[in-house]
Amino acid sequence: MRGFERDGDHATALMDEEERTVIARIVADVGLLLGEVRFGTEDPDDAVAPDDPFAGLGDLGAKASAPTDPAVLRLLPNAAPDDEEISDEFRRLTEGDLRSLKVERLRTMWEQLSADGEEWTLPLAEAAPTAAALTDVRLVLATRLGLDTDADVDRLHAEIDAGVRALDEDEEAPVDHERVWLGMLYQALSWLQETLVSCLAAGQEDDV
Amino acid sequence: MEFQEDLSPEGNVATRSDDAWVTIVWNDPVNLMSYVTWVFQTHFGFTRAVAEQRMREVHERGRSVVSSGSRERMEVDVQAMHSYGLWATLQRSGE
Repeated sequence: MRGFERDGDHATALMDEEERTVIARIVADVGLLLGEVRFGTEDPDDAVAPDDPFAGLGDLGAKASAPTDPAVLRLLPNAAPDDEEISDEFRRLTEGDLRSLKVERLRTMWEQLSADGEEWTLPLAEAAPTAAALTDVRLVLATRLGLDTDADVDRLHAEIDAGVRALDEDEEAPVDHERVWLGMLYQALSWLQETLVSCLAAGQEDDV
Repeated sequence: MEFQEDLSPEGNVATRSDDAWVTIVWNDPVNLMSYVTWVFQTHFGFTRAVAEQRMREVHERGRSVVSSGSRERMEVDVQAMHSYGLWATLQRSGE
């Protein structure tokens, strides 16, 4: 994998098929968590027409309370934790739009990762939604990994190092393989996002 | 009361009734410092120096007041921050 590098008004990352597949799968998982539908399996006949003016009204009032899944709550947090009335009203007004925006950004990213070829190229003007979608994926992974503080992240890095060492040296160490694997995915996505943000920031400097 | 000068701990001065609300961004271990800076520049139009200063405040003090104004205005800012994945809340100024 090579992180994003800027080429004029585009940013390009390189990934082999396995890397693309792994990232596309976690992107689809987060899409499923937020949108209750798995990308690539929707029946087009079931899709709501994009110009349906009532599309967002389907569950009006139904989603006024905070999500119970802590990962979804992190993506759609309470706007005023000490004031339930303000939080609920904010949720009624914004949650539908925020959910659709996040799901659509994830869907675009999933479609790009599902295309053939090693290059993942984004016009810089369209890279902002990808940076935000990467944040959402990382936030969900972080919640699953229990990363609440900077110290938790340091601990995760140490666990991954120990896990990799145990694998390399064939040690009989107690390793939580799923946690190490998820942690490595989190690290890889953090690094990928960092490279994308530096392309975006460099583009912003040009505009000044 | 709203017309009196209200100096909040963050040092922002609310002098008008429509400045009675603030948007606060909270620290989390996930969002990259470079990303938070870029979001502040992009959404609030801060210069890079101001955006970095607010980002450091979030990172080092745990929170930063990033905007103030009417409640409706703050709801727009909080919604934007949530769309970027930043943890933001609104509250009455000085609370």
